[in-house]
Amino acid sequence: MDTLVAQYSKPMFEKENYNQDDQVDLYNPHPTLSLRFAMPPIAQPSAWLRAATDDHANPNCPIKIAHGTTTLAFRFQGGIIVATDSRATAGNWIASQTVKKVIEINNCLLGTMAGGAADCQYWLAYLGMQCRLHELRTGRRISVAAASKILANLVYSYKGMGLSMGTMCAGVTPSEGPALYYIDSDGTRLSGNLFCVGSGQTFAYGVLDAEYHYDLSVEEALALGSRSILAATHRDAYSGGFINLYHVKEDGWVKHGFSDTNPIFWKTKLESGEFSNVTSELV
Amino acid sequence: MAAMFSQNPLMNGPNYSFNQTPTTAAGDNKEHSFYPYTDNGGSTLAISGVDFTIIAGDTRSTSGYNINTRYAPKVFKIGGTTSSQEDATLVLSVVGFAADGEALKERLDAIVKMYRYQHGKPMSVKACAQRLSTILYGKRFFPYYVTAILGGLDEEGKGAIYSYDPVGSYEREQCRAAGAAASLIMPFLDNQVNFKNQYMPGSGVGHALQEREKIPLPRSEVEDLVKDAFDSAVERHIEVGDGLQMMIITKDGIEEIYKPLKRD
Amino acid sequence: MEVLLGITGKDFTLIAASKAAMRGATVLKASDDKTRALNKHTLMAFSGEAGDTIQFAEFIQANAQLYSMRNNIDLSPSAVANFVRGELASSLRSRKPYNVNLLLGGVDPITDKPSLYWLDYLASLAPLPYAAHGYAQYYCLSILDKHHHPDITYEQGIKILRMCTDELKRRLPIDFKGMLVKVITKDGIREVEYEDDKSVACP
Repeated sequence: MDTLVAQYSKPMFEKENYNQDDQVDLYNPHPTLSLRFAMPPIAQPSAWLRAATDDHANPNCPIKIAHGTTTLAFRFQGGIIVATDSRATAGNWIASQTVKKVIEINNCLLGTMAGGAADCQYWLAYLGMQCRLHELRTGRRISVAAASKILANLVYSYKGMGLSMGTMCAGVTPSEGPALYYIDSDGTRLSGNLFCVGSGQTFAYGVLDAEYHYDLSVEEALALGSRSILAATHRDAYSGGFINLYHVKEDGWVKHGFSDTNPIFWKTKLESGEFSNVTSELV
Repeated sequence: MAAMFSQNPLMNGPNYSFNQTPTTAAGDNKEHSFYPYTDNGGSTLAISGVDFTIIAGDTRSTSGYNINTRYAPKVFKIGGTTSSQEDATLVLSVVGFAADGEALKERLDAIVKMYRYQHGKPMSVKACAQRLSTILYGKRFFPYYVTAILGGLDEEGKGAIYSYDPVGSYEREQCRAAGAAASLIMPFLDNQVNFKNQYMPGSGVGHALQEREKIPLPRSEVEDLVKDAFDSAVERHIEVGDGLQMMIITKDGIEEIYKPLKRD
Repeated sequence: MEVLLGITGKDFTLIAASKAAMRGATVLKASDDKTRALNKHTLMAFSGEAGDTIQFAEFIQANAQLYSMRNNIDLSPSAVANFVRGELASSLRSRKPYNVNLLLGGVDPITDKPSLYWLDYLASLAPLPYAAHGYAQYYCLSILDKHHHPDITYEQGIKILRMCTDELKRRLPIDFKGMLVKVITKDGIREVEYEDDKSVACP
């Protein structure tokens, strides 16, 4: 049936340049993040998209989409810690070492980025817009639960189309206190105390779980978050670059630096004697 | 020898003329896969300075081992009031599939022009960068096969560069190389622009080494760097060569420079 | 979902292996011993394809013991490790290679130095201060990176091992039925009482 429909319906882009929608777009003084997407004029767009862009299924795919990697967030007595690495890879190529994987949705809501960089950037910007609209409509700030559900429902509506994102929403609101949600492109939405997302997640979990407890002091929590990302950058080749650290408190989030992993690694090794597998001995 | 053979898999053999379209052995219809892309090669490069931005690209256009033309610009002025783009303030470079690049340029230019007519002022790079991201993402499910770099001067008059992936993730950077020779040029830029892996002479050995202080480069030095980067890429990549087109954006406008590259 | 872990310390090597013997979706045995003693001071833990594992381990065990009997002296752990690597390498190039991953822990009978060797089915050999096979690599290596020091005592070693097994219990979706832990010291190989009925929940 789909094949029949595709065969007899008009391809969307048979004319070059501007169709009517495009012209309206151009005259529209406020370009918005819209939900209208161009589709390839074929019966199975998602299968085609996978062949063209999924470098995991097809390493020779022509369009390499930048992917993000290790991110973590956890709730504790003093709020929420959010930490990420900063490496973006396209296949084996390190596309960037300076990606900002913590996305500032507004001054008390943070999102993290793992999976497709563009998917995360676009949809978290869209979420920011929806959150602001909620504020304007109701006069109250949106809850983290509601914000995360907007995102979860949104990505669920595109399920099977090839979106790839694993994100966490962290925020503090008067109604909920510190709240943390995990949302992914399958449509999963979970609230929780502690999440690690990305190819380096297991390494971060290892360090984090071993010393995590809710009563951590702010200094301990920041150090643990940063050390967990360091562990992941050390063991996971797709993670690296800089450690991006945030602390979410009642009155909004605070940034705690964007620091190069290399000096931190050597400082950790030489001052605390960790990473004893790294030696200059040749066997 | 391979150059005599078409890129079209159906015509893999000596090229046919159009009225002799090859048929399959059985003579019945063969199902074609939908593949509306090709790679036209080439490379682009952008570096920002204190009060300028340079965006450059080679001018070779290839398909497979064939050279289509030796002058196909990849770097475009965006959003001037007229088609001559004399008063443009932004520059876009696109590399990948040239037709998608052209379509993207046309689209962005139209939008930035409309903005200028409606607001009576040119669009800021920051705003244009965000808009370009949404344009690229608008084709998330049917992507433009391009890597774009947008350059201009920010609100403070400093050089600004934004780099993109094909579906619109973007980041402001100091420098960026894209396209076929990105993997050749980018490490060179890391070393020469951001002074990665450079240390102060005499600062010691091993962990005592002090990183070389980062200083913004003057325009003349950046121009030389761009030329060197492309000369090197031409030596080692078959899809790069023929000509180097450079756009230098300063508060006085956009200056365009063309320099020849090796044409073999 | 088989777990192998190895940790060296000041004067000992710890080897831990999961106790579940699984075939498909079934646990056939919950007290499996995935280790073999090769001589007085060398212990080998193995995981991989059913059948291959025990056949290969017992073949190595027999050869190591034969050497000890013929020469009246044990091979050192490093000698055993290189012998095992050689056997794996020739197996790899045979018609039907063994699909076995190994950890080889020992204490050198002459120098009393503890050692640990990591081997995989492709006959890679790496001497390491701590090592893991299978999913344990993903969860435990970062813990060991942080908490391991070359001169830890036996008690500290057990403490780090506990951190690792707790993490596996917490995060692995399949129950591996606890760990069998053995320690090699200059006095020989000894099984360790290892409490593992405590349940660990995700925070």
